[in-house]
Amino acid sequence: MAKFGEKLFNWFDERYKIRGFIEFMSHKSVPQHRHSIWYYFGGVSLFLFIIQVITGILLLLYYRVGEDSSYESVQFIVSKVKFGWLIRSIYSWSANLMILAVFIHMFSVYFTKAYRKPRELTWVTGFLLLTLSLTFGFSGYLLPWNELAFFATKVGTEIIGSIPVIGKELLIIVRGGEDVTGATLSRFFGLHVAILPGIFTVILFIHLLFVQIQGMSEPPEWEKLPPEKRKYIPFFPNFLLRDLLLWLIILNILAILAVFFPWDLGKKADPFAPAPAGIKPEWYFLFMYQTLKLLPPKVLFIEGEFFGVLVFTIAGILWLLVPFWDVKTEKGYRNRLINYIGLFVLIYMITMTILGYVLS
Amino acid sequence: MRQLAVLIISLFIFIPALSQTKDGCYNCHKDVGDKTAELYSGDVHFKLGISCADCHGGDRTSDDMEIAMSKEKGFIGIPKGGKIIDVCLRCHSDDVVMKKFNSKIDVNQFKLFKASVHGKSEIATCVTCHSVHNIKKVSDPASPVYPTSEVKLCSRCHSDANYMKRFNPGLPTDQFEKYKTSVHGQRILKGDVKVATCSDCHSAHDIFKANDPRSTVFAPNLPKTCAKCHSDADYMRGYKIPTDQYEKYVQSVHGKALLEKGDLSAPACNDCHGNHGAVPPGVKSISHVCGVCHALNAEMFSRSPHAEVFEKKKIPQCEICHGNHLIERPTDEMLGVSTKSTCIKCHREEERGFEVAKQMKDMIDTLVVRASKARAILDEAEFKGMDVSDARYEMNDVPQILIKARTVIHTANLDEFKETIEPGYEIVDRVIKAGLDAIYEYYFRRWGLGISTLIITVLVIALYLKIKQIEKKK
Amino acid sequence: MENQKSSRRNFLGYILGFGFLGWFISVLYPIVRYIIPPKMPEAKVKSIKVGKVDDFKPGTGTIFKFGNKPGILLRLESGEFRAFSAVCTHLDCTVQYRGDMKAIWCACHNGVYDLNGRNISGPPPRPLEAFRVIVRGDEIYISKEG
Repeated sequence: MAKFGEKLFNWFDERYKIRGFIEFMSHKSVPQHRHSIWYYFGGVSLFLFIIQVITGILLLLYYRVGEDSSYESVQFIVSKVKFGWLIRSIYSWSANLMILAVFIHMFSVYFTKAYRKPRELTWVTGFLLLTLSLTFGFSGYLLPWNELAFFATKVGTEIIGSIPVIGKELLIIVRGGEDVTGATLSRFFGLHVAILPGIFTVILFIHLLFVQIQGMSEPPEWEKLPPEKRKYIPFFPNFLLRDLLLWLIILNILAILAVFFPWDLGKKADPFAPAPAGIKPEWYFLFMYQTLKLLPPKVLFIEGEFFGVLVFTIAGILWLLVPFWDVKTEKGYRNRLINYIGLFVLIYMITMTILGYVLS
Repeated sequence: MRQLAVLIISLFIFIPALSQTKDGCYNCHKDVGDKTAELYSGDVHFKLGISCADCHGGDRTSDDMEIAMSKEKGFIGIPKGGKIIDVCLRCHSDDVVMKKFNSKIDVNQFKLFKASVHGKSEIATCVTCHSVHNIKKVSDPASPVYPTSEVKLCSRCHSDANYMKRFNPGLPTDQFEKYKTSVHGQRILKGDVKVATCSDCHSAHDIFKANDPRSTVFAPNLPKTCAKCHSDADYMRGYKIPTDQYEKYVQSVHGKALLEKGDLSAPACNDCHGNHGAVPPGVKSISHVCGVCHALNAEMFSRSPHAEVFEKKKIPQCEICHGNHLIERPTDEMLGVSTKSTCIKCHREEERGFEVAKQMKDMIDTLVVRASKARAILDEAEFKGMDVSDARYEMNDVPQILIKARTVIHTANLDEFKETIEPGYEIVDRVIKAGLDAIYEYYFRRWGLGISTLIITVLVIALYLKIKQIEKKK
Repeated sequence: MENQKSSRRNFLGYILGFGFLGWFISVLYPIVRYIIPPKMPEAKVKSIKVGKVDDFKPGTGTIFKFGNKPGILLRLESGEFRAFSAVCTHLDCTVQYRGDMKAIWCACHNGVYDLNGRNISGPPPRPLEAFRVIVRGDEIYISKEG
């Protein structure tokens, strides 16, 4: 048996030179310090993404997109298909937890300033992955074609219409027509299961490749430490086993959530029904939604909504480019400004999200 | 005092009469022996001093025929069609003029008439009913619209099939014939003017089609129309019939359906008593009258042992159990042998009928109780987040089986009844099983979760120990 | 001492091995069960297959399940198919075809609909909702859009 394994290994090594890769992996190590817990959130996000892929493909076996089949097929999945309820609930829960994990991952990287040279592009690809995840969330929310999703999408896409000049045309492109209809559903479905996964996978691969090549970032304080005081644990198997441990726990949490808090399907969307009270976007959009709601109708001669969109876009771009304008950290100085900005953003997002739930 | 009154009254009569003598038209036409003028002397308008010229135009003061009946003086000759109405409404739509004559006649008559089904001048004008030159007060027995005459007046057109074809070929022309068979008709032929005539139900000027919501005989309006007389105890005194029918009807299942829910298919007074031939249904015809809608019940009753006995003993068929005007939604309580049951009115213990009633009631109660238990189980399953829509669909049949079973009661045939109700038990059994399965599935999920949690926990602990081990080795 | 250590290590290995196996099964089992399609046909409310042409004799009416409400499929003497909702518009009883009356009839209050679904006598206030019948080969499908 062992001989066969060795033979197989040799067969591959002869052709693909995997020995070098194994060598590289076995020497890979992860720094250990009081902030090393944050290293796990990247792995958690990855794990939740894998669950998304698996359960998402499983849902595709029965899901049929269409105005008069989307809702029915999801209902069929949760009521008639064995364990369909479990697959769907795990899918929905892991999607939400993934967004949460990605946010935590991003903020931890930000505050530990792991984005600094030479990891600028890891940050940029990471940020892209975050925006893609949000787009995943937005497009996926509509797919069950239930009442809440329908109106949330209607309200959510309406914001696009506030962009001057091209807003109207853009809205029609996004919705596949003037209104949210079956055409929108097809569009969002295509986006959700074909376009986004393709782009996401490529960027995710690059992101992971960068991490593998460069290894985990060390905290800035370590630069002043003598090498013998820096502690490491091997990536394989120590770090990976810990990762695995965490993943198992998360899987169990998902199962518990799925059984005790099954994801509600609600009523089927009726485009002619009046919007039910309390229409809200998913929690991860709530801070933006609430901001737009609180803005006055006119800010400095421009429409309030558009002003909000503009500010968020600029803020997003600045955030994306942090590694390039934060020159202090790169040169080894402590940059408190970054911490203050990050703290402000975090508190702002949390406050607005809470406000979004409280005020309505 | 009395003399004074006579004086005042005679003044009222003579002053206008005197004034007529100054009316050139009337005098001249009377002198040449014009029958119309002669007729007019009996007209209510003549007595009020209204001249020919007030309607026909022209100058009544002139003796010269050429001038009196000239266009310059506004002479219009004999008005035709819509012009007739114009002439009448010149006064009858003007409350100032009408007040001058101390008239209490409604000035809206014309407006109402115009909107009514007769409102086109080629169908009818004022004179079609009120006659011309010989118009009398409505309360005057000589008037064509006095109750005893009115029925004949209306039938002049409405009983003429050839004439009615021109306007509404679908409308029956037998109303008068039927009316003559009704209690109302019988009485009016004997000269009782208190009973309902055409206009009492259909109203006079604002007559609409019976299916027009504005009509006084539109189904939801009809009970009130009948009640106008039939609920007036003073008015009905002397007829020796109750006056609480309307009150009872309003509370009945039919009254609620028609008046509260607006269900036009629910019967109003006329659906049981007939329209024009209104009479109380005879003892034998009750089941036929009710059977028009409650077809199965009637058919089943007719082949029950009750039918024969009821007929022999002259027991009013449906009515004996369900009542007449106050027919309430039947309850299961009416069946069986409890104090509220109608069966025990006749059946005594140890009789076969008593046994059948008891068994039927027990079986219905069983189905009702089990059905509500099944629903409770489905509710519980749904509350636990399980989908039981198929079982719910099956439950749809249970109310229908109950309706059928409650209908089959009327055969008083226990075998037929059992045959009807038994599928209900089977459905309920299946539904209860499906509901319990769903609830079981709910707990199965928790068990499954528990087991997988256990496995994962063991695995997590083992993995933790393994990590410790590896790190210790170093 | 050395023995004890290695036996403990072995024991841990077993637990880990079986644990992973158990875990793997508990993950795989639901997935496999999920992939096996359920016996019930897929939930379709818009159109359903009710059977083959030969299953329905001319001059009969058959009740079928349409979504969660009953429908009635008529086959006229001429062989033509028609379908309606079988829910009486009066009080929601299920209607039936009466060959002797050549009409659709509701037993509850003697409501009668003609073979076009129009309410022609008795209490029903509205006609029955009509469905579209599609004959594809010898299969009959019924769909909601008329």
